[in-house]
Amino acid sequence: MKKTYLTLAMSALLLLTGGGPAHAQKKGGDVVIAMTAAPPSLDPHATSAQVARNVNLHMFETLYARDENARPVPDLATGVTVSPDGLTYVFNLRQGVKFHNGKDMTSADVVASLERYRKAGASPALVAAISSVAASGPNQVTIKLKSVQSTFLGNLSSPRAPIAIMPSEEAAKDMGKADPIGTGPFRFVEFKPDSHVKIARFDGYKPNPAYKERDGFAGAKVVYLDSVTFRFMPEAGARDAALQTGQVQINETTDGPTAKRLRGNPNLQVIPVLPWAAMILKFNMAQGIGADLNFRRAVAQSLNLEEIMAVAYADIYRLDTSWVFAGSAYHTGRTTPKQDLVAAKASLAKSAYKGEKVTFIVHNDRPTVDTATVIQQQLAQIGVTVDLKVADWPTTSKIGLGSDEGWNLWTHGFGIEPYEGPASSMSHWVKGQGQRKADPMIDSIFDRFNSEMIVNAQQRLFTDFEKQMNDQVIAVNMGNFGLFQVATTKLKNFKPYRIPRMWGVWLD
Amino acid sequence: MAAASASFAPTALPTPTGRPSFARRLFANRSFTIGLLLVGTVAVLALLAGVIAPFDPLKGNFRARLVEPNAMYWMGTDHFGRDILSRVLFGARISLQIAFMVALITALAGVFIGATAGYFRRLDNPIMRVMDAFMAFPSIILAIAISSVLGASVTNVIIALSIAATPHTARIVRASVMVVREMEYVEAARALGAGHMRILLRHVLANAMAPLVVRVTYVFAVAILNEAVLSYIGVGPPPPAPTFGAIIANGRDFIIAAPWITVAPGLAILVSVLGLNMLGDGLRDVLDPRMAVATR
Amino acid sequence: MGRFVLRRLLASIPALFLVSLITFGLLWLVPGDPASIFLDTSATAEELARVRRELGLDRPFLIRMGEWYLRLLQGDLGTSLLLNRSVTSAIFERLPVTLSLTALAFFFAVLIGVAAGVVAAVRHGKAADQGMMTLALLGLSIPEFWLGLVLIWSVAVLLPIFPAGDYVAFAKDPWQWARHIALPTFTLACVQMGFVARMARSSMLEVLGQDFVRTARAKGLPEPYVVLRHGLVNAMVPIVTVMGIMVGGLLGGAVVIEQVFSIPGMGRLIIGAVLSRDFPVIQGGLLFLALIYLGVNLLVDLLYAVIDPRVRLE
Repeated sequence: MKKTYLTLAMSALLLLTGGGPAHAQKKGGDVVIAMTAAPPSLDPHATSAQVARNVNLHMFETLYARDENARPVPDLATGVTVSPDGLTYVFNLRQGVKFHNGKDMTSADVVASLERYRKAGASPALVAAISSVAASGPNQVTIKLKSVQSTFLGNLSSPRAPIAIMPSEEAAKDMGKADPIGTGPFRFVEFKPDSHVKIARFDGYKPNPAYKERDGFAGAKVVYLDSVTFRFMPEAGARDAALQTGQVQINETTDGPTAKRLRGNPNLQVIPVLPWAAMILKFNMAQGIGADLNFRRAVAQSLNLEEIMAVAYADIYRLDTSWVFAGSAYHTGRTTPKQDLVAAKASLAKSAYKGEKVTFIVHNDRPTVDTATVIQQQLAQIGVTVDLKVADWPTTSKIGLGSDEGWNLWTHGFGIEPYEGPASSMSHWVKGQGQRKADPMIDSIFDRFNSEMIVNAQQRLFTDFEKQMNDQVIAVNMGNFGLFQVATTKLKNFKPYRIPRMWGVWLD
Repeated sequence: MAAASASFAPTALPTPTGRPSFARRLFANRSFTIGLLLVGTVAVLALLAGVIAPFDPLKGNFRARLVEPNAMYWMGTDHFGRDILSRVLFGARISLQIAFMVALITALAGVFIGATAGYFRRLDNPIMRVMDAFMAFPSIILAIAISSVLGASVTNVIIALSIAATPHTARIVRASVMVVREMEYVEAARALGAGHMRILLRHVLANAMAPLVVRVTYVFAVAILNEAVLSYIGVGPPPPAPTFGAIIANGRDFIIAAPWITVAPGLAILVSVLGLNMLGDGLRDVLDPRMAVATR
Repeated sequence: MGRFVLRRLLASIPALFLVSLITFGLLWLVPGDPASIFLDTSATAEELARVRRELGLDRPFLIRMGEWYLRLLQGDLGTSLLLNRSVTSAIFERLPVTLSLTALAFFFAVLIGVAAGVVAAVRHGKAADQGMMTLALLGLSIPEFWLGLVLIWSVAVLLPIFPAGDYVAFAKDPWQWARHIALPTFTLACVQMGFVARMARSSMLEVLGQDFVRTARAKGLPEPYVVLRHGLVNAMVPIVTVMGIMVGGLLGGAVVIEQVFSIPGMGRLIIGAVLSRDFPVIQGGLLFLALIYLGVNLLVDLLYAVIDPRVRLE
């Protein structure tokens, strides 16, 4: 008898105090996120930097946005009607959407934002197919394309340098000068360069009624936190230390060995995010030894991908050489090539390589430099001498993009494209942008992909693309890598995505 | 002045003042000998790196990544699986080479510029104004900027650090030269018809030697430190060069997971620089005529 | 004195002009520009060209240089390309941080260094002397940024006594300010402490060996009085000379320490600007640092003249 009463009392106590997993969302609190760098601009049209996205996509929204599976779904639009010839898109806008300054969003704002992006946005390729944008009603926008583009909604919803909707007064300002006023669930509070950006919950925000919960960049974005502060801490050690001492609640990115140590801390949750990006090795095919197919083949055959990825991205890599991520309808599960030094030496012998120094450029991000260092060692095994030129990003990008000279090999991460989809992945190699010499087959595949609306046909085209990339060794996709996000256990319902989303989460 | 020139030229017999030879005084100086021992040890280890290093400093063993110091890897391994001890040994070689070249170039450039400014009155002002302008940049920022411009390589790091250290060296040489320029025996030599060059070399520079030698030892030491800072910032010699600074920079991300990567090269820098500083102290004690005067 | 100051101020203008020229020279030579910072690693040449156009970087270098000098004459250092504020406000936000760090480190370096040096000189040859000088030598030889890293790891992460970095303004919270600035200040002061201690010792030794000190002692004056009034005051002269160099060393050291401890000061501002090619900030920041350096040197020369009346202000 006593036992039953005891059990009843204990159960009652447990119920009252909420013992067991707490699912009740708590409103309030401030979360500090440690980020690797300061955003170069809080004008979302002006930049494609990841750290800018982290902040801007909390304050701004787009007509269409990517859902949890990277598919374009309506966000500020309610839907779209596409004409049978595929050249006219009529978007109906949500009503009652307010900007942070209290103004209602209308079609005029949407048109102004799109025109601004067309004129000076950071990713001109996204809007290149547009021939005209017009307000066809107070809550309707009509966009006409020059030619059919099956990926248009994908482009419109690209989070890379998002085509964010801002008030027409802001859109009238020069690129980079617009104030951060958007429709997003957070509003801008302050930006102290070299310290932090602070955003706060926008109480005038109404979550999209068409959705029940968060869904990628779209969905119902309900904010429980009062504010979020993004602190800029380039030093990995400093971020980890600040996390452990409680100065920050989330570390946006840390490496495998450190994550392993931090797992032992009962106050922290370690969240692996894989895949985040692909690591690629590009050749300069316009000049020098990179133009020689046999040389490129020799390089590809001498790579031990497992070793490269294990050193650069310990514990958080996956060998997958498809140009989109697993889970995508276009993913091709090809086997990973193994290192074959014999074949590599044979290819090298057939090539025009005479022992000269091969210039390999990388920017000074530790894993990227590590990747290049391991490749340098592996190429040394077949007798290729690599001159590794590590420099900061401005220098590296200047050399790599500025002219055909000064480099033969270049390695860097390729992240947002595989996430966005096959067209994004392909676009980097169209017109020779990535490899500095146009490949007519890739260009033609890309054009056909754009005018092809049927998924099966698109899949076949994408397979052709991957085959071409492989046969011609235009670039080597060395595998997927990820990152570890570490947060305090007090943070509930956090699910990693392309940005650390602070809606739908709460502090316990 | 006789004491000055006598103190610089080693003699076997004691001078009339009864003081022992230069070499004997040098080695009697405790600072100098300990310093020499330390630097000598580092230098010898660096020279013999190829023979005594247990592993290839550039080759990673991907199954032995981030190993704590143990019987096989005395200083542990880094995230490539490279042995830190071997890297430190070879790193000593490169870091010392860089520092030596910086010291040499700085000495030569400093003497040339400083002597010219100190001896030829009309050139003094313009030259020193330019030196002042360079000295107004904190040397590390100057080095970072120059490295960024020239690109990251061992040669460019040497150039950058030399440019940063030369103005102050020139200033020191100039000061000594100016002191001697006014001295009577120089006027006497001029009166006797000796040319500028001869005066400069024989009398003037001899006087500048003492502070120059001390300064150059200091420059050597600081070059080791500054190379490390440049590597830490990211504008040092590129991989796979295992300079001390590069090893620390590599280990930076892993300071929580693998602190030994940071500790070893830092201690190596400390020992090298400590030795050099003691060497410089000893040299100054023995060479500086002012000190010689004070103890008479 | 007033005329001396005025003449020195005027003389510093050509030096500052030279500094700005050298900086422009470097900027002209350095490859890359801030446009790339706006873009991620999969940037294309087209995107780069567009951002450059928007930032006004496609205009000829000489024109941009001319514009900068014109604006400078109006007292305007321009706007940062990446920080979204004027260069002047960026500098003035950061300056107090670096100045407080440097001043604090300077103060401790001189205080502790001189004290150590005097004690070592007075106990010349004995254990205290050896001990102090060994410590001073160690401090002098240690790589500052490494010391900082080691301290962070040991007393900030392993044993969470101090915070691992960052800066809290004194006005906001004096106790947190002190906690946050403690490690950086100590690290920064370490090297200079050693330097000052050795200088103080040797200069004290030289003075204490001189005739007038022997006279004072012969007169029967108490030893502490002799040491302090005669010894120390005279010994300070060479130390004051060296203060100018010290400040240079401290400013340079502060640059690195700010990086290690993530302190938002001038050092991080300039290094960040150099690495991201934020030209206006590099120009304005370096000019400012040069101004500070020249200003401190002027102060030191004035101080020197005050302390040692034998020095003629020519």
